[in-house]
Amino acid sequence: MSEIRLEGVTKRYGTFAAADNVDLAVAQGELVTILGPSGSGKTTLLSLIAGLNKPTSGRIFIGGRDVTDAPAQERNIGLVFQSYALFPHMTVLENVLFPLGVRKIGRAEADRLARDALKLVRLDGLENRRPSQLSGGQQQRVALARAVVFTPDILLLDEPLGALDRKLREELQVELKQLQRSLGVTTLLVTHDQEEALSLSDRIMVLDKGRTQQVAAPTEAYLKPANRFVAEFLGIANFVGLPDGGQALVRPERIRLSGSGAGKPARVVEAIYLGQMVRYHLSLDGEGARPMVAAAPFVGPAYATGERVMVSWDAADLWPVAK
Amino acid sequence: MIGNTPWTQRLLTAAGFFGLAFLTVPLLIVIPMSFSSARALTFPPPGLSLRWYEAFFGDSRWMEAMATSASVAAISSVAALVLGGLAVYGLRRGNFIGRGPAEGNFMAPLIVPTIITAIALYLGLAKVGLLGSFLGLVVAHTILNVPLVIMVLGVAIREFDQRIEQVAWSLGASWTYTMRKVVLPNLAPSVFAAWIFAFIGSFDEVIVTSFIAGKYETVPKKMFNELILEVNPTITAVATLLIAFTVLALAAVAFILGRAGKLKQTLV
Ligand SMILES: Nc1ncnc2c1ncn2[C@@H]1O[C@H](COP(=O)(O)OP(=O)(O)O)[C@@H](O)[C@H]1O
Ligand SMILES: [Mg+2]
Repeated sequence: MSEIRLEGVTKRYGTFAAADNVDLAVAQGELVTILGPSGSGKTTLLSLIAGLNKPTSGRIFIGGRDVTDAPAQERNIGLVFQSYALFPHMTVLENVLFPLGVRKIGRAEADRLARDALKLVRLDGLENRRPSQLSGGQQQRVALARAVVFTPDILLLDEPLGALDRKLREELQVELKQLQRSLGVTTLLVTHDQEEALSLSDRIMVLDKGRTQQVAAPTEAYLKPANRFVAEFLGIANFVGLPDGGQALVRPERIRLSGSGAGKPARVVEAIYLGQMVRYHLSLDGEGARPMVAAAPFVGPAYATGERVMVSWDAADLWPVAK
Repeated sequence: MIGNTPWTQRLLTAAGFFGLAFLTVPLLIVIPMSFSSARALTFPPPGLSLRWYEAFFGDSRWMEAMATSASVAAISSVAALVLGGLAVYGLRRGNFIGRGPAEGNFMAPLIVPTIITAIALYLGLAKVGLLGSFLGLVVAHTILNVPLVIMVLGVAIREFDQRIEQVAWSLGASWTYTMRKVVLPNLAPSVFAAWIFAFIGSFDEVIVTSFIAGKYETVPKKMFNELILEVNPTITAVATLLIAFTVLALAAVAFILGRAGKLKQTLV
């Protein structure tokens, strides 16, 4: 178990920088997600830490040791990919035994460790199956067991749940978080799914075009984004004008609707039922084309499409964001 | 959409059968003739016998050619497998400047007219003093077989998820250990197919061999020379044996790849 530190890490392909001067410190036992759109350099960053790729410049430290020039084999990292990357010709048990065999751990001890790891991911009983005989979720559990069975210093997960359907993904998110907490292993998880990042992380690092946009706890990144990109990537963002000519973010849940009373008059353009919440698209009188979005609990008063409402928010819920 | 309307479909089928017949008719003539009892080449054969097979196996020059062909094919196919395998792994997995030209260079013997390769090898081997030597023959056949290996293994490597190898490295496995325990077991059917193709490629080769083999006789080279001198029915026996060998080898490839293919289908 070790911390991870990146200092000015840059990876160039020709003149294009896939990772551009990235600094990051992940504390021991912490779970940090790297969140960004496709092509923002998330996989590049992970492969640099894993040693599958060499940075053009900058240093990488794991547990205080400079591993920038160390090969992947010597970094003691657990790695999980979206595509599972199980060894197709081996059984589940053989897959999990692989890193122990490489480390020349005795047969009996290795067997015990592998079976414990499989129990940890709730796959005991499937030891002798082939990967091809497992569902996607089961295969990813095998990959996870294989990545933690040798007590790696750190765990790197590249969109580990990206190939699974929504329900299974939400289940596995919870399991993954519990597993990570019980092992106390320092973890970097890559995702392009903002909900996943918000629900799993101790902290989120938002990446765009190879550059760090913000590193912050989920609530802070969501409510106090460092810039407009972060504001919009982490969820629905409403921007309102400030007296000084600037702009401020207000999230949909912070917007109050009422049939009458104080606030700005508006018309409901669309009311969308989402189960737990109702999302309203509102057109404020005398303002631009872009509708404001409000989200209200389903239990509150409901407004129909076309209805006129009053819109208000607290000044404390505004967060100034540079254009 | 070709083949959607009945008459184009029928036309295509007819063309296919015609092509197949065109290719197999020579076999239908050669194979019965090899079992002929007649002294000269006549069709249909007046009676059946194994005399031309006896003539072939009883002739020490044919046996010598057989031994040369077999040993050249065995050595050059393995050499092509090892060298071509390493080359194509680098070509598929590496990311370096000049990869395109490098691949073109390896594939050239398959693309340029064989006669040009033959002349090039003639000049090249003469320069290093290997013209007419056994080693020269092996080197030439290796060069000719490398493109076959690159083609067959190239597809297999491309289809094998590189992340599986990367995970193996991250788990602590060295490059060679990963090769042995992860990559090769999964690529085994294609490696076998590539080896068979290379072996047949060498065993059938006549143009380059005629240029550079000097005193060495391989089976196809001897067949070619015999045909020029006199038409001896022994050749039909040799041809039949070659056909049988090729068909069996290709059937083995189809079987192995077919099984692997089914394996892959169950994987998905
Ligand atoms: N080997 C490479 N050569 C050239 N460009 C690359 C290479 N690998 C990645 N890139 C580029 O770097 C950028 C970031 O890629 P990647 O890290 O895979 O993004 P992400 O994982 O966030 O989707 C992309 O624009 C991609 O095209
Ligand atoms: Mg990626």
